[in-house]
Amino acid sequence: MSTGGGGLLRYMGKRAIDRAAVVISSLTLQFLLLRVLPYYVLGIDPSFFFLNPNLTEEQKEIIRRQFGLDEPLLSQFVKYVLSLLTGQLGFSFYTRRPVYVELMERLPNTVLLLGTSTVLTIILGLIIGIIAVSKRGTRFDASVIGSSIFISAFPLFYVGLLLLLTFGFYLKWFPIAGSVSRPPPRDPVRYVADLLWHMALPLTALLITSVGGFALFIRNLFLTQLGEDYVVTARAKGLTEREVMLKHVLRNVLAPVITILALEFPGIISGAVITETVFSWYGVGRWLFDAAMQFDYPVVQAVLFIQVVLTVVSLYIADIVIAILDPRVRLR
Amino acid sequence: MKMSASSKFITLKDFLLELRLYKTGVLGLAILIIYVLIAIFAPFIAPANPNETELADSYAFPEWFSIFPEYRNLPRNVFIRVGYKDWSIKSMDEGISVNGESDIVMIVVQCKDEVAVKSVTLEYEFDYNYDPPKRFSGKIPFEVTIYNALGSYARIKCFIITPKRRVYELYDSMSIAYNLSRFETPASYDARDIYLKLKLGFSPHDDLGEKILNEKGTYKLRLVVSVLAVKGGGRIEVKLGVKEFRVYGRLYGVLGTDNLGCDIFSNLVYGTRVSLLVGVLASIISVSVGLVIGIIAGYKGGVIDQILMYFTDTLLFTPILPLIIAVSVFIGKSLYLEIALIALFSWMGFARNTRAYVMSIRDSMYVESAKAVGASDMYVIFRHILPQLTPIIYITLVMRVPGAILLEATLSFLNLGDPSVPSWGRMLYSARYAGAFFRFMWWWIIPPGLAITFLALAFVMLGHALDEILNPKLRVRR
Repeated sequence: MSTGGGGLLRYMGKRAIDRAAVVISSLTLQFLLLRVLPYYVLGIDPSFFFLNPNLTEEQKEIIRRQFGLDEPLLSQFVKYVLSLLTGQLGFSFYTRRPVYVELMERLPNTVLLLGTSTVLTIILGLIIGIIAVSKRGTRFDASVIGSSIFISAFPLFYVGLLLLLTFGFYLKWFPIAGSVSRPPPRDPVRYVADLLWHMALPLTALLITSVGGFALFIRNLFLTQLGEDYVVTARAKGLTEREVMLKHVLRNVLAPVITILALEFPGIISGAVITETVFSWYGVGRWLFDAAMQFDYPVVQAVLFIQVVLTVVSLYIADIVIAILDPRVRLR
Repeated sequence: MKMSASSKFITLKDFLLELRLYKTGVLGLAILIIYVLIAIFAPFIAPANPNETELADSYAFPEWFSIFPEYRNLPRNVFIRVGYKDWSIKSMDEGISVNGESDIVMIVVQCKDEVAVKSVTLEYEFDYNYDPPKRFSGKIPFEVTIYNALGSYARIKCFIITPKRRVYELYDSMSIAYNLSRFETPASYDARDIYLKLKLGFSPHDDLGEKILNEKGTYKLRLVVSVLAVKGGGRIEVKLGVKEFRVYGRLYGVLGTDNLGCDIFSNLVYGTRVSLLVGVLASIISVSVGLVIGIIAGYKGGVIDQILMYFTDTLLFTPILPLIIAVSVFIGKSLYLEIALIALFSWMGFARNTRAYVMSIRDSMYVESAKAVGASDMYVIFRHILPQLTPIIYITLVMRVPGAILLEATLSFLNLGDPSVPSWGRMLYSARYAGAFFRFMWWWIIPPGLAITFLALAFVMLGHALDEILNPKLRVRR
């Protein structure tokens, strides 16, 4: 047992170094694309976007120095990585407030919306996928496959727009924008109800576009296992289809399911950009989009950094969970 | 992990023969061919230039709405051009002569011994039988030339007279005492002009079209040219070009017009081009990049493999959409930058797959035998590895297109696309921000999205059929 534990720890350590290296290189890539490329190709310096053109050169120079923009790009990069890694996200060019404070205002909304949608996607996707594979070849199975392929061809923003058009503008059942009424209700129960009412359409849009694909993925994953010997054995023991699926197959396909969920994370966050922009949801995704439009470099870089870190951390957790579930992985 | 399909070489004819057996594949190919034909023949299908504005009133309804009674009498586009032969001279003072060369009216006043004002009144009648429009406008090209008569001036006024004989002055040139040509930049009036509204005694919020053209019947356009001739032997010439008068229709085209008066249907037709271009180009680039990196990493192995996979993972873990948004905002909006960005961020999965295949082929017995008899790396790659990868290359090429199309549409919807290129995403962007939702203009909102969906769907269906034809493993499984 002790050697097994040691193997796990060593595996975790090795993985942690790999993942941390990816964070650094991803930051490098972002710096190259967002700062070096615009600067050398088009000669754009971030100060160009927020300095009042009426200021004198001296005043401009002072402000540039305040933001550290007068230093060479390489030392800016080192400072940028170091401060991000120590949790200093800087100040927004646009509002001049700390990025961290603004982030904390918006994070709960995004976590609420995307957390709910992710959890529901997993639950609904698993249920639909497993039912489809148990009834493979039937009309239900065919309709699951057909509708998930059909829905995968819909852009997320278009689903959002159609929901807005039908339920927001035409039937007027749901609000057309925002994450809470103005002014917000005082009573906590009514506040929650109001929030849920605002969340209904964005949540539906996210679910429509993600459940089908996930269910299809689960179905095909289970299908690859059905010919395996252990499934035949389990059936031969006289277990019901339900028991075979949930007790035997599910455990064996868990590793790819967890990996795909961890890999879906960046997709979910980019989904937040679209959904939050379409539904004017007060969250991180729309913030990132607005900040990019206003050339608010500190915000853009901070949000991208946080997303990379979240992705990498979630993949790391997935690695560990898989390693615990399946000891063979550690030996690789 | 050998791909048994690789051994059979498939010609296009074989492929089509086999595709016939897959209903979805045939359907996908059919839809795709329709889209390609639309893209190629866009200039012949689209009735108007997609970027041309003011084809009709803003937010016009589709023309076929006239089958519903409440839309039947909405104004259509009325475009009147009045040349020399169309004018009728209502009154003319002594000493003024009116001639015409083709369409141009030539008014000449010869100066005499006394100072005198001479004027001529031209009229044109037209019928207007629709509901009041919101907007009308007009252009009056003219040219004033004064020969040797300092102090003389000419003045041009334009009126509209309603069937109930109300007279509205639409244009007044004021006194022109110098040589002036307004043929290139005709004098114009527009019902949206606030000064015109105020001058006629209406509120700035009124639509002049609704106030003035509010009856059915015969309207008259009246042009009054008056000339003050000083004493002496000089001469004053006023040339009038073709006067234009147009009423902006509120029923137009197949799908009406957008907020700028552009034809929505033409935009829809031309949008096919950019979607196909971006989808296919981005897919080709991303598959090529993935193939090269996958083959090198898988075949060479070792440090090169690790470096390349590290680079691949970096891109794989970078949030794609937010980064593309930021880069396209910071660097600029261009179609080819968009394609490059979409391709740059979509080759990683294929590179990893290719690498896995190449590794399994590299370690196989026949590759080892080939190497043993002295085959070069290039020979092994082109002779043994690439042919085995062909099916998966084809499948990936097709399966990558929908993702690129959807991403392009998303970027255009966020207004990050090339603003000069009509695209479905941008149509939805303008629909959203120009108030199509408040007006419930479903004919503007629904078609572009469906166009995106069916194009993406065609590629998905074709890809699935390809998958089944080229990947026999799947056939056994199902």
